[in-house]
Amino acid sequence: MEDSGKPSLHVESSAAEGSHFKLPVDSEQKATEFWLFSFAKPHMRAFHLSWFSFFCCFVSTFAAPPLLPLIRDNLNLTTTDIGNAGIASVSGAVFARLAMGTACDLIGPRLASASLTLLTAPAVYFTSVINSASSYLLVRFFTGFSLASFVSTQFWMSSMFSPPVVGVANGIAGGWGNLGGGATQLIMPLVYDLIHHIGSTNFTAWRIAFFIPGFMQTISAIAVIALGQDLPNGNYRKLEKAGDKHKDSFRKVFYHAVTNYRGWILALTYGYCFGVELTIDNIVAEYFYDKFNVNLRTAGIIAASFGLANIISRPGGGLLSDWMSRRYGMRGRLWGLWVVQIVGGVLCIVLGRMNNLSASIIVMVLFSFFVQAACGLTFGVVPFVSRRSLGMISGMTGGGGNVGAVITQLIFFKGSKYSKETGITLMGVMILCCTLPITLIYFPQWGGLFCGPRPKATAEDYYAAEWSEDEKERGYHSASVKFAENSVREGGRRRDSSPAVPADDTPSHA
Amino acid sequence: MATAPLLRLVLLVSCIGSSMAVLFSSLPNTLTVTSSPAAGQVLHAGVDQIKVSWKLNQSTPASADSGYKKVKVLLCYDPVSQADRGWRKTDDHLKKDKTCQFKVTTQPYSSGGGSFVYTVERSIPTGTYFVRAYALDSGDTEVAYGQTTNAAKTTNLFDVVGITGRHASLDIAAGCFSAFSILALVFFFVVEKRKAKK
Repeated sequence: MEDSGKPSLHVESSAAEGSHFKLPVDSEQKATEFWLFSFAKPHMRAFHLSWFSFFCCFVSTFAAPPLLPLIRDNLNLTTTDIGNAGIASVSGAVFARLAMGTACDLIGPRLASASLTLLTAPAVYFTSVINSASSYLLVRFFTGFSLASFVSTQFWMSSMFSPPVVGVANGIAGGWGNLGGGATQLIMPLVYDLIHHIGSTNFTAWRIAFFIPGFMQTISAIAVIALGQDLPNGNYRKLEKAGDKHKDSFRKVFYHAVTNYRGWILALTYGYCFGVELTIDNIVAEYFYDKFNVNLRTAGIIAASFGLANIISRPGGGLLSDWMSRRYGMRGRLWGLWVVQIVGGVLCIVLGRMNNLSASIIVMVLFSFFVQAACGLTFGVVPFVSRRSLGMISGMTGGGGNVGAVITQLIFFKGSKYSKETGITLMGVMILCCTLPITLIYFPQWGGLFCGPRPKATAEDYYAAEWSEDEKERGYHSASVKFAENSVREGGRRRDSSPAVPADDTPSHA
Repeated sequence: MATAPLLRLVLLVSCIGSSMAVLFSSLPNTLTVTSSPAAGQVLHAGVDQIKVSWKLNQSTPASADSGYKKVKVLLCYDPVSQADRGWRKTDDHLKKDKTCQFKVTTQPYSSGGGSFVYTVERSIPTGTYFVRAYALDSGDTEVAYGQTTNAAKTTNLFDVVGITGRHASLDIAAGCFSAFSILALVFFFVVEKRKAKK
């Protein structure tokens, strides 16, 4: 793994410059390999800083749910109050995720993510002093903003890692961050038990427990600023001064993002895999505690197993997407996403009908694998929707995830209209309905679920269409052209139709 | 004679069966329970006390309590405290019932009745309560009950104000850690600006 003499996959002349990076890099100095257990500067270090700080944000955002049996009695909350706060916790990030893409463009992912994390840390500390339903709602709302660091994570990975490995980098960073939603269900009851054991009364012990996620957040953000770096060659300010970065127009990027219908469809479907994941993070501990009469720590362990599946499920989704693409191109990616998300929906329906503790746990774990893999599969498609507006499309999709969580909690988990079991089953039905639009996604050059590609369409045309003639003359679209060339593989292997074309080769140009 | 152990087995099984499905509605209200707080009185958790007394109803025949071995006294939520709070729901199946979540005392039953002075624990949440006593048989199964309020749970209720759990030290710590986070951010921004100027 540590061989410095081996040439990188993208053989460019600049390799002769003698790159001073430990990892092999391409012409943009992005790493072409992913060494999980390395902390090499700047690529792998950025990866570890980024996933860990995102993990801490997830821990904080979902720190309250496992302790709800205590908090609800301390603050005299009703089911409606709890539901409202759950909605608030995921709604802040809807717009924050959209804004984060722009912030990353302006000040770089390192400062953007650290600012967000440090500015939301006070909300976590102040959770220890709340006294009413409204203050509970406010702290959960502001803490939830920190989930926007998802965008900076993906942005940072896309800046540090080359296309062949960016999927894996993004998938693991996203998955291990989401892991926080599961880890917190274990951490918080454990910390509470410890503090309670030492001698604090229960209504004080849970308050003290909140200093742990708050402190983790503060420390991880400081590490990001102090040890991280925006791009392989340095930080934004330095590079902008040197004229190495061209700034695109916000209005154009915005226009090309919102007029691409595929972005909207993926935002909706992401709402029904990631949004469902967020919803479950909010309700599952209380669900097991109340329905099966287990104690707080046990409810936490069960709830945690849902989020902990993220260690492999989301990265697994990303890997599956890449594997499907190698055999069937973009159509394979779309089929993989559709099938996996549908299975997730069916398992959700089944989960709500389970009345036995062990059966419930088994179904829940299976459900978690499928729903989280669907998240990974979604971000296997997102990078190809637009090249110019990649940041914004990622932000839209990410924001859509949170919108799904808001809507689902509003309809099914607010107030006492539906029991939690019924809510879960109905949520499963909604997953199935909202996954159907994937059938409408169509790339002229690669096809869709049920239709093949248009004969003369090319990836170059698709990505170049985002630039005006004027901009093309100035060469602004050169990155898009390179990307189109690198996306050759999304055409899939041609098996039967044209035997003259060798498998895995460049698509036939018009 | 072989039927005797069989009969005993059937009796045992039916006892177990019945204890698994004790319905509140099947229990006779044979105990009179009184508690010291006046209706509407406000008690503070960790500070105030309740004196609970129970005895067999005047109207109940004296032999009815032959099976009563123990008395279990509980603090129970009134309907207002249960509203929109599914985790405090009343269910006729006693095993599933969540109305009475706090144990006051469990004592051996004596036909003259009994009493207990209970200091409201610091873990009792804010709410409106009444007191209920169950008479238990030798298998610890509920066989009768009595409560301080009426069947509709509307009379003779008292309030408990729970502790907040807050402390001045927590408030100060929260303030300090928050200030530190913001100041750290400002510090690093200033350092960035200085580096860019160079």
